[in-house]
Amino acid sequence: MRVPLSWLAEFVDIELAPEALAERLTLLGMEVRSVERRGAEWRNVVVGELLTVARHPRADRLSLTTVTTGSGAPLEIVCGATNIAPGQRVPVALPGAVLPGNRRIERTEKMGVVSNGMLCSGDELQLTGDGEGILILPADTPLGVPLADLFGDVVLDVDVKPNRGDALSIVGLAREVAAITGTGLRQPLLDVVESGAPVGDRLAVTVHDAVLCPRFVGRWVGGVRVGPSPDAIQMRLLAAGVRPISNVVDASNYVMLELGKPIHTFDAGAVEGGRLVVRLARAGERLQTLDHVERDLDQDTLLIADARGPLAIAGVMGGAASEVSDATIDVIVESAIFDPVSIRRTAFRYALRSEASLRFEKGQETRLARLGADRAARLLADWAGGTVAPGRVDTAPQEPDPARVAFRPARAGRLLGLALGVDEQAALLRRVGIEVEVPAPDVPTVAIPVAAGTKPLSAACPAVDALVALVPTWRRDLLVEADIIEELARVNGYDRIPTTLPATPMPPFRPTPLAVRDHVRGTLAGLAPAAAGETPGEGDPIWVTNPLSADHALLRQNLVGGLVEVIVANRRRGREDAAIFEVGKGYGRLADDAREWWRLGIALAGAFDPPAWNRERRAADLDDMKGIVEALAGALGLPRPRFATLATEPMLHPGRAATVLVGGDADGPALSGAIGEVHPALAGEWDERSRGALVAELSIRGLAAGSLPVPRGLTPARHPEVDRDIAIVVTAERPAGEIEAVIRDHAGPLLRDVRLFDVYRGVPLAASERSLAFRLTFGDPDRTLNEAEVETAMAAVTSAATAAGGRIRS
Amino acid sequence: MDLADLTRDLDALRLRALAAVAAAPDTATLEAIEVDVLGKKGELTSVLRGIGALPPDDRPRVGAVANTVRGAIEAALADRRSGLASSELAARLERERLDVTTPGRPLRHGSLHPSIQAMAEIAGIFEQFGFVVHESQEIEDDLTNFQMLNIPPDHPARDLWDTLYVDVPGHLLRTHTSPGQIRVMQAMRPPIRALLPGRCFRYESVDASHGFEFFQVEGLMVDEGTTLADLKGLLDQFAQAMFGTGKKTRFRPGYYPFTEPSVAFDVECLVCGGPGCPACGRSGWMTILGAGMVHPVVLQYGGLDPERYQGFAFGMGPERISMLKHGISDLRLFMDNDLRFLDQFR
Ligand SMILES: [Zn+2]
Repeated sequence: MRVPLSWLAEFVDIELAPEALAERLTLLGMEVRSVERRGAEWRNVVVGELLTVARHPRADRLSLTTVTTGSGAPLEIVCGATNIAPGQRVPVALPGAVLPGNRRIERTEKMGVVSNGMLCSGDELQLTGDGEGILILPADTPLGVPLADLFGDVVLDVDVKPNRGDALSIVGLAREVAAITGTGLRQPLLDVVESGAPVGDRLAVTVHDAVLCPRFVGRWVGGVRVGPSPDAIQMRLLAAGVRPISNVVDASNYVMLELGKPIHTFDAGAVEGGRLVVRLARAGERLQTLDHVERDLDQDTLLIADARGPLAIAGVMGGAASEVSDATIDVIVESAIFDPVSIRRTAFRYALRSEASLRFEKGQETRLARLGADRAARLLADWAGGTVAPGRVDTAPQEPDPARVAFRPARAGRLLGLALGVDEQAALLRRVGIEVEVPAPDVPTVAIPVAAGTKPLSAACPAVDALVALVPTWRRDLLVEADIIEELARVNGYDRIPTTLPATPMPPFRPTPLAVRDHVRGTLAGLAPAAAGETPGEGDPIWVTNPLSADHALLRQNLVGGLVEVIVANRRRGREDAAIFEVGKGYGRLADDAREWWRLGIALAGAFDPPAWNRERRAADLDDMKGIVEALAGALGLPRPRFATLATEPMLHPGRAATVLVGGDADGPALSGAIGEVHPALAGEWDERSRGALVAELSIRGLAAGSLPVPRGLTPARHPEVDRDIAIVVTAERPAGEIEAVIRDHAGPLLRDVRLFDVYRGVPLAASERSLAFRLTFGDPDRTLNEAEVETAMAAVTSAATAAGGRIRS
Repeated sequence: MDLADLTRDLDALRLRALAAVAAAPDTATLEAIEVDVLGKKGELTSVLRGIGALPPDDRPRVGAVANTVRGAIEAALADRRSGLASSELAARLERERLDVTTPGRPLRHGSLHPSIQAMAEIAGIFEQFGFVVHESQEIEDDLTNFQMLNIPPDHPARDLWDTLYVDVPGHLLRTHTSPGQIRVMQAMRPPIRALLPGRCFRYESVDASHGFEFFQVEGLMVDEGTTLADLKGLLDQFAQAMFGTGKKTRFRPGYYPFTEPSVAFDVECLVCGGPGCPACGRSGWMTILGAGMVHPVVLQYGGLDPERYQGFAFGMGPERISMLKHGISDLRLFMDNDLRFLDQFR
C-alpha cells in the first residue's frame, strides 16, 4: 500500500525522518518496501504568475504569455492551453527543467516566437489527473518557490500482511505509527451538515441474508455537481497510486484508502423507489457491470438490487446502469459489511479482484460501515456541493464490544524466551489499543483460548495466573493467546528477544534419506556430467488442471525428455557438447492414487573428449554411456551391469538401445532402466539439435531413501590367478552379451571374471562372421590352481560355446 | 717366443687398447673394445696363449705383467665409460626435452547445480545442529498443504501461494515444504529436529519460458521448552555458518498462518555491508528466510498437545541463499540449465 506521509500526518504526529520511520515500521511488522520522494523529479519547476495572455501572432491555437516568477525579467512563454488568464499562479518549468518521464524542457522557438520554458498541466507533473489545462495553483501560493517544496511528498510502500486488513488504510497505519511514537491519534472528520427530508423518506434497505451482509449503512446526498475533485485531493490520490476520476468516485476511493472501507455510490435516480435489496442472484439474472461487460450471474452471487433487478455485485463491482455520471443529481452511499468468503469466491469467479474486494476478503469490523458512510457523505458535501439527508439507514446499528482474549503472562515468557513483567505486558498491549483487565474476582478459573479455527482448544487456568486482553474491534486477527503473545513481542521489539541456543534433548540418530542420491550425484559429477533434477512409467500421466502454459500441463513421467530439452537449449546457445544428469522425480497415477518415484536421467551429446592440442576430438557414443553406468554400479557396490538389446522403445534408435539390469533379488533389480541413442526420426520431427544424443533413464534402489553399501576390505588373493584367452567366432548379429553369458554359465566355480578384450572381423573370417575374444580369469582364494582343473573348465567353456553356435578360433 | 717378446706384445696391446679406449666415441664402442681385448676370445687371451712356450720360471712374471696390462685397460675403460655416460645422458636429456609450457590434456569433471549445492550446504550446517533430514511427497493433498497448516479454504492468506492443481481429486502440487511439518510430527515424537528439503511448485513464473518449480528447505524443532529466543540463536548461527562469521542478523515480525509469532530473518547486505545499496533496496538488509513458533492449530494436527509441546519452524529458498552467496542477479539462471552458467560451480 502506498502511503503519502502528508496524509498519514493528518492522523498522527511524525517527528521521525522518513527512512527512520520506514525502519521502525518494518521492525513492527509493517514492512516498508520503498521510500519514494515525489517531486524529486521536478527540477527547475517553480511557481509563477501570469502577467499577460495574448494570442500567438502566427498560431490561433497557441497563446503567448508573459510570466513572472517573482524576480528577474518576465519570461515569454508559449502555451497551448485555454484555461489560463492573467493573475493566475501556475507551475513554470524553466529551461533546464526535467519533468516526470525524464522529459527535458529547453528554450525553444515555437512558430517564430522563443518560449522560455513551459507552463505545466497537473498531468505533466503527475500531480493531478488533468492533462487538458494548466494546473492553476491557489492564489496565495508564494511566487518563485520550487514546486517540490510545496507539493512534494514522501510515499512509503508498505507491505501489509493478509492478516492485517485493518492496517490496509492510512488510519490503520497511523495507529501503528502511534504505537511506535507513543503519541495520540486524530480521527477523520465525520460530522456532516444535514438538511432536508430525513434519509428514511428517500432510501430503504432490506437485507435478506444477515450472514452474507451483517451490516449495511446507507446515506443519501442530494444535488451533487459531478466534476473534478479539488487539486489537492487529486494530488493526494495520485501520490497513493489512484487515478482521480470525478469528485464522487474520488470520494469513494478516498474513504477506502483512508479508512480501509470500500464505498459504493449509486445514482439515486436509477434505483427504483429508492429501495435497495441485498440478496443472492436468481437463476437467469444478468447484469452489465461498470466495465460494460454483460455478465450471467451465478446464484451464489450476492447482489445489491432494486425491485427491477440487479444493480451491483456486492463488494465486487457496480452496475453500469446505476453508475454515477455527469447527469447524476442525487447519490446513494453504500457502506456495507459483507461475508469475506462470499466476496472472495465471487471476485475469483468473475475474475474481478480489486482493491475493494481485497479489503472485504480480509474481513472488516462492522463499525467501519458507519464511519465510512459518514466520511463519504461529508466528502461529497465538501467536494461536490451535495446536501446530506439527515440520518442514516443502518441494518445493524448496534456497535460491537471489544473481544475478550484471556492469556497467561507466564506463557509469554515460556514461548518467547523473554521475561516480561505483568505490568510491562499490560503497558505494551496498551500501546496498540489493547486494554488489559484482571479476571473478575469471583471466578476461580479462566478459559485460555489456545487454538481456534478448525481445531479449537482451550485450557483452564487459575484466574490469578491470567489476564484478559480487550481487543479493539478492528483487530480481527487477535483470537488466541499466541496472537496476544506475538503482539507483545512485536510491540516490545523482536530485537529485544534474547539470542539463546536450544538446550533441549538431542533427538536420536536417524539415517538420512539422501545417502544414495548424494552418492550418485557425487559420483556422476566426478565422472564428467553436470547435474541439471522406483518403477518405470507406472500408471497414467497426471495433468495439471490449471497449467501456466501448455508446455507445463503434464507432470513428467521420465527425466530424459527434460534433459534432451536442456541439450537442445544449450545447442541453441552455441554450446555443442553436453554431459548432464538429473536425480529427480517422475509422477503418475493409479486410479485416484498419485505416485512419485525417484529416477536418474543422464544425457550426453557432442564430444565426450573435446579436442585439445594433444588430443583428437572424440564424440560421445553408447560405450561412454555404458561406461558411466558401469562406473555408477561400481560406486554403488553393485556387480557389472548386463546390457540387452532393446528394439522396441519408440524414442530410441532400435539398433542402438539397450536395457540395463544390475544385481537384485526378490524385490527386483538393484539398478535397471534403458540406455540408447535418441531415435533419428525424433530429431527430424522435433528438433535437429537432439540428433545423436545419448540418454539413460535408470531406477536405482535406495534413491528415495537408502543406505550405501559398505565396501568389504578383503585381503588380496595370495595365490596367483590364472588367465586364459578364448576367441569364439559367431555370426555378426550375435550379441556379445549372449556369448559372455554362455561362458559365465559354464566356466564353473573357479571363474573370477570374464572380459571381452577384442572384436575382430575380416580375413580369414567369412563376411558374415566376427570373432569375440574373451579373457577368463580363474582363481581360488585358498590355494593355487592346478593345470588340469583350469583345462577342465576351459573344455567346458569350449563345448558350451560350440553348442551355442560358436566356433573356437585357435 | 721368449719372455721379452711376450712382454713387448703385452705392452703393445696395452698401448693399442688405451689408444682405442681414448678414441672411442661412445659406450657401445667401449663395449666392443672390452670384448675384443679382454673377452674370453680377446687379444689378451690370445697373447697369453704363448705363455705355454715359456720356461716355467718365467710364467709368473708374464702373469704379473698381464695383470698390470689388464688392470690398466680396465681402468681406462671405466674412466672413459663414466665420461661417456655423463655426456650421453646429457645428450639424451636434451633429446627428451619437452615444451613444458603447453597446456595439459584436459580432464573432465562435472559439477552439481547451484540449487543442489546450496541445499547440501544448508543440510550440512543443520546436521551439525542435530537436525535430521526427512522428506515428504510433492503431490500433496489440500488438507495437509493448507488446512492443517491453519489455512482454511477461501482464507485470504491463500493469496500467498498461487497453487497448481492436478487431476487427482483433492490433490495439488505442494506450494511449500511446510506440509512436511505435519507429516514429521505425525510420524515421530519430540524431541524433533527435522530438516525437509525438496521441490515445490507455484502458479507463477518469471516469464513464459520459465518453469514453476523451485526448491525449499524447511526446518522444524519441537520440544517442551523450545523458545523464540532459541530460534533467534539458531538462525544467527546458521547465518554465520552460511555467510561468514561476524555477519549481523536481524529478527523482525513476519506473517505466516502456521506460525505465531511469525518472523522474517534478515542478514546484513552482503554487497554493501549495511549502509544500503540497490541490491538490498537501500535497507542494508537482505531477507533470507521466514520462520516462527509453530501455531497451536498445526501442533494439534501433528498430533501434539500445544499445552505441552512448543517449537519453531523455518523455511528458506536455496536459490535465494545461493544468489546472495554467489552474487547471482537473476533467478532465471537457476532454471535455464545453461551449461556456461553451471560450469562456474565446479
Ligand atoms: Zn546493500
